[in-house]
Amino acid sequence: MNQHAKAISFVLNGSKTEMLVQTHENLVELLGRLDLYGARESCGQGLCGCCTVIVDDVAVSGCLYPAAFVDGKTITTIEHLDHDVQLSPVQQAFIEEGAFQCGFCTSGFILMTHKLLEQKPMPTDEEIRDYLAGNLCRCAAYPEIINAVKSAATKMART
Amino acid sequence: MISFELAEPKTLNEAIALLDAEDPEVRPISGGTALMLMMKSGVFRPSRLVSLQKVEADYSRIERGSNGSLRIGAMASLSQVEHSDEVRRVAPVIEKTMRHLSNVRVRNVARLGGNLAHGDPHMDLPPVLSSLGAKAIVAGPSGQREILIEALFSGYYETVLKRDELITFVEVPPQAGWSSSYIKCTTRSADDWPALGIACSLRIEGGSIGDVRLMISAATEKLTRLVSTEKVLRGQKVNEATFERAGESAMAEAEVIGDSRGSASYKSELVRVYVRRALRQAGLGETQP
Repeated sequence: MNQHAKAISFVLNGSKTEMLVQTHENLVELLGRLDLYGARESCGQGLCGCCTVIVDDVAVSGCLYPAAFVDGKTITTIEHLDHDVQLSPVQQAFIEEGAFQCGFCTSGFILMTHKLLEQKPMPTDEEIRDYLAGNLCRCAAYPEIINAVKSAATKMART
Repeated sequence: MISFELAEPKTLNEAIALLDAEDPEVRPISGGTALMLMMKSGVFRPSRLVSLQKVEADYSRIERGSNGSLRIGAMASLSQVEHSDEVRRVAPVIEKTMRHLSNVRVRNVARLGGNLAHGDPHMDLPPVLSSLGAKAIVAGPSGQREILIEALFSGYYETVLKRDELITFVEVPPQAGWSSSYIKCTTRSADDWPALGIACSLRIEGGSIGDVRLMISAATEKLTRLVSTEKVLRGQKVNEATFERAGESAMAEAEVIGDSRGSASYKSELVRVYVRRALRQAGLGETQP
């Protein structure tokens, strides 16, 4: 093995995964090689949130995360949220509130909303805005997104 | 991005041994958020990166000393620092600063040591930690040394750290009797890099300013302590007139640089206004018990 490649193993969406990554690869590129396209590189600078991935229980920007760093870690992507063949309450709320137009940013917003609601089950408007400040929606569906977050919070409180 | 050798030492000492005092293409990487940007844009093309991700967990701990001091491991993520009860109890200004520092995902990944060692004059934590009187504990091949955060930066993206030295801990002294504030001005969008950052800590004694530390960042080539303005402030009454005089003094003292976020003359005016506001916030805010 050359010095610029690393053999890594990690848990991806519940399955143990082993692969060889190049040191210059980032996490979005790694996921793309596994046909997972829900995390998308958009700004490439960690500002927009389209590449959001959950690594060891925290949200990260996949475009700024070296693929080699996931060695030994647990990764969850948007593709895992309906693994029991049912949309998550957050996904459902985004559909009901029409919280997207083109949908490019949506997977990032949904994953971030999941993390927010884990930490703050009933967030205020200000807390929602603060937490999602690093996610950009170029269609500007922000009012609907905030409604969707609140609606998801209510759904999850009921269950 | 080009390919490079990635070393993943398990201990701090191994990490130091893998660094190279002479070779600028060999660098440590902690969270990687800032270095990834530099590598993607081609500004930095490493031959070897020494990852600190797997070094001893001691360097990620946050502890409060019995005297009210703080000791933060350099590998603590900015989120860890943001949500630490210990940090909040000693220096609530840090938590307030984090709220507007980049975004949740970057804070989850970026590490305190990397944030400081990067030497970017637009960062928020260097002025805040300097105004608290914090210092960095630094380890190298020949042992340890301490550097005040205010003395860490030697120029634009330059620090006094040697290429084979690593920040291991940041120590914040007890803040009893002090109150602190940090405000920044972003001119293009709320989440932009700041055009100006002002951090100040005041020790107020009987309605007068007993001691003060006043830092400016982002508008200047490197983090700078406004020493002359501090002299203007010491011993003065805590009131608007004092703050106003300090704003005038800071405007005259700071060597501001114009860039895409504002011309030098515009930023000078910002200095006058923001120094006054930062002092007002610290002066009329709560003092640490």
